[in-house]
Amino acid sequence: MSSEDRVGEDSRNCIAVDLHDIQATILRHRPEPYFGTHVFLHINDAHGGREFLRRLAPHIGSAADWWKAGDAWIAVAISYPGLVALGVPGDSLRSFPEAFRAGMAARAEELHDYGANDPKNWERPFGSGQIHVQVSIVSPTEDKWHRTMETARQQYEGFSGVTVLLIQDFGAQPGSLNSLGYKDSIGQPAIEGSGVEPLPGQGRPIKAGEFILSYPGEAGVPLAMPQPDTLGRNGTYVGLRKYQSRVGAFNRFLRENGQNDEERELLAAKLVGRWRSGAPLTLAPAKDDAALGEDPHRNNDFTYANDPQGKQVPLGCHMRRMNPRDTKMPVLTDVNIHRLIRRSTTYGAPYDANTISELDDEGARGIYFLFISAKAMSTLEFLQQDWINDGTFMNLGSERDPLVGLQEERNTFTIPKEPVRRRIHDIETFNVLRGGEYLFMPSLSALKWLAGLNAEAAERPARHG
Amino acid sequence: MATQKQVKTKSEQSTDLEEKVQKLRELYADAPEIGKTALENVIRALKSGTPAKEPAAPVGTAGRIGRRQGKVSELTVIAPLAPGGAKRMRAFLEILHGSIGNEMVDMVGTVHDMRFVILDNDTKLLFCTAYDLDWDPYIEDFATKIPDILDLQFGDVEGWPGVRSPKVKDFIASHQITADFWYVANPNLTVVETRRLERIGKATEEFLDKIS
Repeated sequence: MSSEDRVGEDSRNCIAVDLHDIQATILRHRPEPYFGTHVFLHINDAHGGREFLRRLAPHIGSAADWWKAGDAWIAVAISYPGLVALGVPGDSLRSFPEAFRAGMAARAEELHDYGANDPKNWERPFGSGQIHVQVSIVSPTEDKWHRTMETARQQYEGFSGVTVLLIQDFGAQPGSLNSLGYKDSIGQPAIEGSGVEPLPGQGRPIKAGEFILSYPGEAGVPLAMPQPDTLGRNGTYVGLRKYQSRVGAFNRFLRENGQNDEERELLAAKLVGRWRSGAPLTLAPAKDDAALGEDPHRNNDFTYANDPQGKQVPLGCHMRRMNPRDTKMPVLTDVNIHRLIRRSTTYGAPYDANTISELDDEGARGIYFLFISAKAMSTLEFLQQDWINDGTFMNLGSERDPLVGLQEERNTFTIPKEPVRRRIHDIETFNVLRGGEYLFMPSLSALKWLAGLNAEAAERPARHG
Repeated sequence: MATQKQVKTKSEQSTDLEEKVQKLRELYADAPEIGKTALENVIRALKSGTPAKEPAAPVGTAGRIGRRQGKVSELTVIAPLAPGGAKRMRAFLEILHGSIGNEMVDMVGTVHDMRFVILDNDTKLLFCTAYDLDWDPYIEDFATKIPDILDLQFGDVEGWPGVRSPKVKDFIASHQITADFWYVANPNLTVVETRRLERIGKATEEFLDKIS
């Protein structure tokens, strides 16, 4: 989605964050179509790791002119074990939040990653502590993807300082649809001072400090930041979640609960709050509207003022849970402080409506989600506990998010309608967690700081955990 | 870190109880006579009665400190008050007491009860509450939605950093004391769920009235 036409004189004058120092991925939207690769690396020794960052740093994209689409870019993020391996001094390591230091696997209880989502069922190398660095290449064209990938590869291939653990290509999906066949990544938070007018329906811009360290957040003060300032400033955190989509289970659910294609597609829309095209049920209650779905100036331009009961957009659907907007909630909630920047990257075979076998559930397809925020760990843990794996906040008892919730036996999904609600029983888990990591996404100057850590600092004992 | 829940066998449980009884008898050896007699009566009743049922909801910890039963958690804080603080706090709480305060706490939607007790010649505050799930995640919502109310309620506590401060969670936790014993009648019912069931109950009665 191009944002160029949203830049007026006023917003240009209001740039209050240091775009040249912030990584591109934080502000730049995923292009459409998109092509890319995630590369997960292990640092073999502190010197080698720093040398690798020194080589990579000049190729990392900044957020300058982020609204201009067209270029490919490289992003880098580092896990806590990665910072330890780089020889970051102990005082500095201790200044990172506890959840980040523990890592996503160790926070399974806080994240409600139980049962099928339990880290003991994850794919290697996730959760093993081996992943030190994630490098992502994102491109709007296949050609630029290959070229940029080659640039990234030259920094690590044949270089003894780091070892490649996993390479995962993503994107290149027909219509840029995700693994369950929906257009996704609509409705990102608008960030104050980032230089672009909010899209209609995006809501008021949220304080930059919610998403980028060192700026005031919604409470008026900056969040606690890793030290020294050079390391923390203009950085942020990434919660990476690798989901495998159980496409067979999803399609069976639609077939069992819908008599014909029309009913099935309406049910699919009720689960998400949007039709496959991205058209929201609020604006297109009866049938899909492809033109509406693809228009960023219209596809998010709505509130729930006329839909308090969820008769258009169910209270428990994915979109309304993740951004309740003006929904009247029974628990005091500030909807502006639980937002995340989402960078969703679909991998594997494209969605196929005729895929119905249990064998198809095990296929390698799904989504690598990057959730970006200056407090990604606590926001993700809050969302997992309260907004995804519970329904209390929407007066839905223990109902869960139909897309990313971990369903237990006899779980339900409620569709409000006249004269009485429809309740679908025995909803299954449609996206199973296969891995995850908490990562720190440093600013460009912090990358240089990390690359230039002197040998003396590296020799100092740095305790893990 | 994830806590490991260990399931104990019946015989392990009874050995546990035996050990606890043994320890109690040792401690009560020099207790007043009335206590000793009562202890022996209770032990006899415990042993002859039917074995205790599993608790209705898991008993655990509420975030960093405090106990939790099912979905309900307890928070107990004792903290020193700034000079003159007790007087100000009492005057402010006086305004909150009754409908103004109730309306405000109703809106929070996670608080079962709470009390402020000023102790020791106006030098300390005892604050107790039962609430749903964790308080950690909600502090940030309070900080942006009702910061002034919280800063008035707790501003007279010595060293209160302000609810907007990144240090506020650590500050609260540093004054928190875990209860030694705590009972919850409906551990699986949150405040929101209780209100929902109330509404459903009323609607059901109306429905039955209409069709009867």
